Parts: sequence; C-alpha cells; structure tokens
Amino acid sequence: MKTLPELSVGIGLRQPHYREMFERTPALGFLEVHSENFFLDGGAAMHALERARAAYPISLHGVGLSLGSSDALAQQHLAKLKRLVDRVEPALVSEHLSWSSLGTRHFNDLLPLPHTREALGLLTERVDRVQSALNRSILVENVSAYVEFRDSEMTETAFLAELARRTGCGILLDVNNLYVNAVNFGFDPIARLADLPPEAIGEMHLAGHTSVDGCLIDTHGSRVCDEVWALFQAACRRFGPRPTLIEWDTDLPALDVLLGEAATAKSVALQRAGVSYA
Amino acid sequence: MPELLAIQQDFAGALDDADAASRTERWLTGNASLIEQRLAIYRANVAASATKALVAAYPVIRQVVGETFFDGLARAYQHLVPSTSGDLTDYGAAFSGFVAEFPHTQSLPYLPDLARLEWAVHRAYGAQDSQPWDQQSLARVAPAQHSTIRFDWAAGTAIVDSNFPIARVWLIHQPDFDGEFSVDWSVRECVLASRDGFRVVVSALGAGDAAFIGSSLAGGALGASAEMALAAEPGFDLGRLLGRLTQSNVICGFTSKG
Repeated sequence: MKTLPELSVGIGLRQPHYREMFERTPALGFLEVHSENFFLDGGAAMHALERARAAYPISLHGVGLSLGSSDALAQQHLAKLKRLVDRVEPALVSEHLSWSSLGTRHFNDLLPLPHTREALGLLTERVDRVQSALNRSILVENVSAYVEFRDSEMTETAFLAELARRTGCGILLDVNNLYVNAVNFGFDPIARLADLPPEAIGEMHLAGHTSVDGCLIDTHGSRVCDEVWALFQAACRRFGPRPTLIEWDTDLPALDVLLGEAATAKSVALQRAGVSYA
Repeated sequence: MPELLAIQQDFAGALDDADAASRTERWLTGNASLIEQRLAIYRANVAASATKALVAAYPVIRQVVGETFFDGLARAYQHLVPSTSGDLTDYGAAFSGFVAEFPHTQSLPYLPDLARLEWAVHRAYGAQDSQPWDQQSLARVAPAQHSTIRFDWAAGTAIVDSNFPIARVWLIHQPDFDGEFSVDWSVRECVLASRDGFRVVVSALGAGDAAFIGSSLAGGALGASAEMALAAEPGFDLGRLLGRLTQSNVICGFTSKG
C-alpha cells in the first residue's frame, strides 16, 4: 500500500480523458476513481485502471456501499470492494457518511443521516466491519444535504470526529459539501472546522455546485467557487496540506481545465499561511 | 422500532412516492412545502443515477428513440424495476422485456432484440479477459476423439437470435461508423457478441456458424454441433469458423475425451 504525501493534488480519472491522460501523464499526486465503476471482471476499463495505477497512486472512492443503512450491510458489495482493493492496492479508500438502500431498494444516491447517538453507534459498527474486511483503514466523507433532521444531537463534523476517534477511520473533508450545507442550513462553515481533529483528516475534496431556488446542490459539474477556495484555505491553515482532489463528474471539461483547478489547489495549499488564494 | 429505521422507511417511501412525502415531516426541519421542494432534489438525483446507468448500457436504443424519449422510457422502467444494487453496472438487465411490453414502443418491434444485444455487449465489455492458451494442443487431439471436443468460450460471449437485422442497426449507430446507413429490414440476423482483446465485436452469423456456436456455447460437443451446423447450412466450413474464433480467443480452450 502506498501512502500519499500531504501536499498531493489529484483529479478524477474519467473515461473521456483516458487517452489524453496516458499520452501526457501530467504531474499529479494521485488519481481518484469511483470504486463501483471498476467492479468488473476485466475488459477495457480495468485495463485503463491498471495503466493509471502504474503511473499514479490511486484513490478508490465508493458511492454505493451505504454505510448508514439501518437494516444490513451489503455483504456482496463489500466483497466486490475487497476484490478491487486487493487488486489495486490503493493509497486511499473512502466511503460516505450517508445511506442509500433499505431492504431490496437501492436509491444510488447519498442520502442524509440524522446525526444522533443511535446513528453514530451504527456507523461505528459498520466502519469497524468494513475496515476489518478490507484489512485497512478507510476515510469517511461528509455529504451535501438538502434536508435537516429535527433529532440530530450533534453537527456532522462532530459526528465524524467521534466516528474517527472510535474506529480509527480517517475523515475525507469535502470542502464544497461543507459550504453547500452551511448555505442551505445557515451555519458558519469555518467554525465547523474546529470540530475536526487535524490528525484525522486524510483527504480533502473540492468541487463545484449549482444554486436552484436558493438551495445549493452538489453537482460536481463546474469550477470551484471563490467561497469554497476561501474555506479550503482556512482548512489548510487549520489542518495543514492534505491530499486534495478536484472532483468533477458531470459536464466534464477539457483535461486542462481540471489540471488548472488542481494547480490552483496546490498553490492555495502552499500559501496556507498567506492571504492570497488566486 | 429504532428511530433510524423509522426515518429511513419514511424517507424511502417519500422518494418512491411523492404522495408519501408528508410522512417525513415529523423528522425534518422546515415547513411542508420546503421539505417537499428538497425531497424533489433527492428524487431527481435518484432518477438521474438510474437513467445514467441505462444510458451507459443502451446507447444505441437511446439514439434510435431519441434522448428525450429515452429519458421517459428510463423513468418508466425505474418505476417498474427499481435498482436493487449499489453497483449500477448490474442495472438494466430486464430492459428488453420492458420495451417489449411498453405501449409506446410497439411501432419498433425490433427494439427488444436490440436491447438484448446491447445488454450482451454491456456484459462482454466488463467480462473476464481470456488468457492465451496452447492452440496447437487442438491439433494434437486424436482424430477419433474430435467429435468429443467441448470448447471453452471467453466470458461474455453471447448469441442473440432475432427476426430483424439488429447487428446492422447496432453497427450503423456506432460512433466510429463511416459507411452508408441503409438497412435491409427483410434480413433476419443471428448475432454474436464477443470480445476481441478489449474491444467488443458484434457480428451477424451465417446459418451454419450460428447453429454451431449456439450448440457449442450451450455445452454441446463438436460432433453434434457440427452436424447441426451442416443441417442448417450444407456449405458450413468448420475449419474457417474455428480459425476465426481461436485467433480472437473467443474460443479459449477445450476438453476432450481420451
């Protein structure tokens, strides 16, 4: 298993960029892929991932395991993830603080959890099981949310900090998700950074969002906005630089646009003590 | 009942049925209209994820019916056959049966077979790579044992038999197709979907080849399969077919008696 230097900036590896990525092999700290896109037995996609792995450390980012489902953990899904982890030996493995399925129904979306002690108990047990099945620690990411639960007993960041303390998992801080929720629910995102122990932050995500009727929606389809860059700068100041990903999934732009965003992220991380981030 | 389970049951209900949204109000902050507005974002995300999976598996059907119509088709399919897996590569297996029954696609009778072909291509794309093997060993089988040979077929190899020219329809909708676009609708095609390296190849088979592959792929021995092929097409050329299938590693091994 490779570990990443703290000052590593990566981008998502997406199919339309395969050819150009392999021809140019731009200087990047790592590449991140959605784990579920590589649950295949073989073929072109697996070959591309193996080529990428030969040139870069890989981060496997899961979107389908549904850690927070109150009924059962999907053993078959976990087995597929384990097969991929064993095959790729990634530098990072991450999942989300969310649920996606109940019974036989899978929504294939990152649905929000109430931040209760009950949910924390469930997540603790689930993360323990996943880490023991994979025989390695994972990162758990905060999610964008559009509804808020009345019964939440703590903030999402405090929930993640306690989950990390109990299980030894790391935290993937999605700076855009934190900002989206701050706007949607009216809190100060910089104050929330104080909930998070710096040593638990294993990765940060940066992405774009969109605004619909006053609600910010996490779309991963545009550039990182100024407010999120500013929050990222505050996060770098508190945590130090961490492996950071430019996350862009819809309306994928030219590779150079992603590389430009990655270069900006690197300069912000380097200037964490300064004031300018452009 | 534990609270988290109750919350998730109500939330799940509200995602699949807008009329059930009020059940979530006791759990969420904000008034009913705000909650409904926000739940609609999740519903749209849920629909978009499943639609994206169908777009990936059925690109030709999407071109044939148009993007807007396909989106409607995808929504109707999700309503009938919701996703049950966090791995969306598995989603869409029943699409052929669905379009066969869907009232608004009855004017396109070849669509169910085209869907079966696209699903076969989708499975072949991610199938296990076949490994190189000692093809000379086939020539060393004693002639008396030839009829007992059973071939191993590369993962993802599939046959789709149709009353329509679906391989031709599939071919002219490929992004790199640069020939002319005519389709002879009187042609019936039996189609092989298989891998050649990392590429998925779709080819219409002659009657003899179709009979042989169909039999052998189902586990039939060479002798019986060749007899079926000759019955279907007296000019069937076994050597030519085996040469082609072994060269591309679609046949990737064999067993024989003796």
